[in-house]
Amino acid sequence: MSTTPDKLVERYLKHLEVELDDLPRDRRSEIVDEIAGHIAEARGVLEHESEADVRNILEGLGDPPDIAEDARDRFDVQPALPVAPYKRGSMEIAALVLLLVGGLIVPIFGWMIGVILLWLSNAWNVRDKVIGTIFVPGGLGLPLIGFVLFATGSGGGICISDLNNPSRAACTGEGTSTGDVITVVALIALLIAPLVTTAYLAYRLRHQPAAATA
Amino acid sequence: MVAGKQDALLAQMRKGTLQYCVLALLADEERYGFDLVRSLAETDGMVTSEGTIYPLLSRLRRDGLVETTWRESTSGPPRRYYKLTTAGRSALEAFKGEWGRFRDAVDHFVERNAG
Repeated sequence: MSTTPDKLVERYLKHLEVELDDLPRDRRSEIVDEIAGHIAEARGVLEHESEADVRNILEGLGDPPDIAEDARDRFDVQPALPVAPYKRGSMEIAALVLLLVGGLIVPIFGWMIGVILLWLSNAWNVRDKVIGTIFVPGGLGLPLIGFVLFATGSGGGICISDLNNPSRAACTGEGTSTGDVITVVALIALLIAPLVTTAYLAYRLRHQPAAATA
Repeated sequence: MVAGKQDALLAQMRKGTLQYCVLALLADEERYGFDLVRSLAETDGMVTSEGTIYPLLSRLRRDGLVETTWRESTSGPPRRYYKLTTAGRSALEAFKGEWGRFRDAVDHFVERNAG
C-alpha cells in the first residue's frame, strides 16, 4: 500500500488545525478529531483504496480555510486579530538594526533603545526577547571595542575573556600566545553571537507572525 | 451582480437551516458523524463542504441541543454518537412550525407569480 494517501490525510489535518487556530483549543481538537474519524470511516468503506479515492474524500470535506471560516461563524469567533498588530513594521526593523549596530552609532544607548523596541513589539514572544537581550549586550559594539583594545595591546580587553581561564592567562601587557588565541576566539564568538541572534529574530519575524501575545 | 447576491442568500439560508436538518436526522435515532454526513449528502444541494458539519455538531453540543456518547464500533475505533436532547427536540419542533408558515408564505407569492 502506498503511503501517499496517508500523507495527504496528514497534510490535510495539519492544514485544518492551523486554519482553526482562532478557535478555543477544546473546540479545535474536537473538530479535528471528528474530521479525522470521518476520513478513517470513509477510507474503511473502500475496498481498494486509491489515491484518487482519498482525494475525493478530502475534497468532499471541503478546503480547510472554508471549514475554518464556517467554524468561526458558528462559534462567533472573530477572525484572527494578528492581521493588524503583528504586521512587521518599522519598529521591528529598527529594533533589529539597533540591537546589532546601535551600540556602534551611540555607545550603549543605541543598543538600549533597540532592547526597548524589542520588548515593546508584539512580534516576538518572551523567549525570543530574552534571547535578543542577552546575546549579546551591546550588539557588535562590545566585540569591536574588544578588538580595538586587543590590537592596541591594552590589557583591559584581554582580561574580560581571560577571566574564564584564569589559570591559563594572566592579565599582562605582553600576553602569552595561548592567551592571545583565547582572546581572539572569544572576540570572534562575541562577534558572531549578535549576528546569529539577529538572524534568528529576523527569521522568527518572518515565520511566526502570530507567535506571541506576551 | 444579482446572481451573486442570490447565491449568497441561498448559501446563508442553507447554512441557517442546516442545523435543523441535523436535528431532524437525529429525531428518531442516534447517529455518528460520518453516518449523518452521508445522509445529508444524499440530498443534493444541502451540504457543499461536508467538513462544515463538524463545527456545527460541536456547536449544537455546546448549546445543549444534542448530547454525545462514545460507542464501540465493530469495524474500527469507537464512534461518537449524537443524540437529541429535550432542548434539541423542542428547538426542532418550534422550527418546524415557523418553517411551515414561512415556506407557505413564500410559496404563496412566488408560485402565484410563476403561474
